[in-house]
Amino acid sequence: MFDTDTNRNSVFAKFEKLAERMSAVSAVGRSPFGMRFDDMLSPTRARIGNEEILLAGTNNYLGLTYAPECTTAAKAAIDAHGTATTGSRLANGTYSDHLDLEEALKAYFGVASAIVCTTGYQANLAALSTLAGRGDHLLIDADSHACIYDACRLSDAETIRFRHNSPEDLAKRLSRLPDTGARLVVIEGLYSMLGDVAPVAEFLKVAHAHGAMLFVDEAHSVGCYGDHGRGVAQAQGVLDQVDFISGTFSKSFASIGGFIVSRHPALELIRLVSRPYLFTASGSPANVAAARAALGVIARDDQLGKRLWARANQLHAGLIAAGFQPASPPGPIIAIERPDDQTAVAEWNKLMDAGIYVNLAVPPATPQAKSLLRLSVSAAHTEADIDRILAAFRSL
Amino acid sequence: MTLANSDTFEKISAILKAHTAVTVPITPDLLIGADLAIDSVQMFDLVMEIEDAYDISFPIEEASGIDTVQSLVEAIERLKNV
Ligand SMILES: Cc1ncc(COP(=O)(O)O)c(C=O)c1O
Repeated sequence: MFDTDTNRNSVFAKFEKLAERMSAVSAVGRSPFGMRFDDMLSPTRARIGNEEILLAGTNNYLGLTYAPECTTAAKAAIDAHGTATTGSRLANGTYSDHLDLEEALKAYFGVASAIVCTTGYQANLAALSTLAGRGDHLLIDADSHACIYDACRLSDAETIRFRHNSPEDLAKRLSRLPDTGARLVVIEGLYSMLGDVAPVAEFLKVAHAHGAMLFVDEAHSVGCYGDHGRGVAQAQGVLDQVDFISGTFSKSFASIGGFIVSRHPALELIRLVSRPYLFTASGSPANVAAARAALGVIARDDQLGKRLWARANQLHAGLIAAGFQPASPPGPIIAIERPDDQTAVAEWNKLMDAGIYVNLAVPPATPQAKSLLRLSVSAAHTEADIDRILAAFRSL
Repeated sequence: MTLANSDTFEKISAILKAHTAVTVPITPDLLIGADLAIDSVQMFDLVMEIEDAYDISFPIEEASGIDTVQSLVEAIERLKNV
């Protein structure tokens, strides 16, 4: 499938096994890794060739990508400020739009400091690689997203993993550390693959009891959990005590971008030294405007969140009734574990044949090397959409 | 004491055996990746287990430089004395 070059010194030689695996998967049917939508029709519909596909794997939790508030704001921003900023936040890339969004985030979370980044991936790299330096320790959940691992690689701190969602295991590992250096504990509010929620309040207690700060990546949970979508930390009553929260605008906020917020005003200082923040261009006016508009909708109106949860509960209950075992309690991410890659790929193809797109998630992108069919629910799904998804699962 | 007799080697051999599907006698020169088919993700889980077995902190940055069973044993001996 790919010319990896037989020369063993080729830079492509190391990808040979990967190419073989991709060919094997694609031989079964469509290639789940080469998905292409010919046209997007709505938050829940796309066209591939002549087929209309019902989307159930988009992370478009609130369905705001076509909301008039967001599209109008994005178009107006292009007309007013152009298509791109062409520079870093520290140089020519900070417009009043970026600063307004930072002020809106501060008000929304009730925090002292907010930094808007170009992507959520960058936000985690920018914060973690800079906050934890030489002689410090990063303590990360074993199931952390790839960008948290990448941030640790970029940091000069030492990284210790603790067992997934286990505050007890974190306590044990914290108590083994030397007294010197700072400690930063990193967890996610809602885990992107299995859809399980972290016991943030318990982690906070353990972290603070051991002189560590707590950083919560709420990429998937902001918009979905808590009062007006303020996230899992807020839902568990500890938003005012968590030290740092990061998130993305690429899911519930219907845009591209990321953020870091903190109750500590000193977060501002990382703007001057954080390489991932400094050495990339800032978010485009359209993206910043769409995120700002989405934040306005979310802060004003909680109907979307309610609709999302109604659909999530419907899908979760329906899957159980159909004999499937979701990996976690009801939520915007519903993962169904399959016995192996082959089964998952075959079923993913069957669902596509039925006009339903879900995410195929296989190792190494999944925790405990699981093979998953991952569904994400949207407030834009109708009850009938969920029924159609369930009918397709019943026919597997 | 030679490496092959050390307590650490014995204990690590047992842990490695539990983590690999390959049934070969564990020797110091075996490559953890190529010979025991333990990939980098599994290696990270192994590191957590080693931390508990020895009550030490074993940063994952240390793990990336480890290739043979012997280098793993040496890393543990070093971290035990930190
Ligand atoms: C937990 C987590 N953090 C961060 C990100 C990165 O977000 P973005 O898509 O904005 O780069 C993602 C998204 O994939 C994620 O799942």
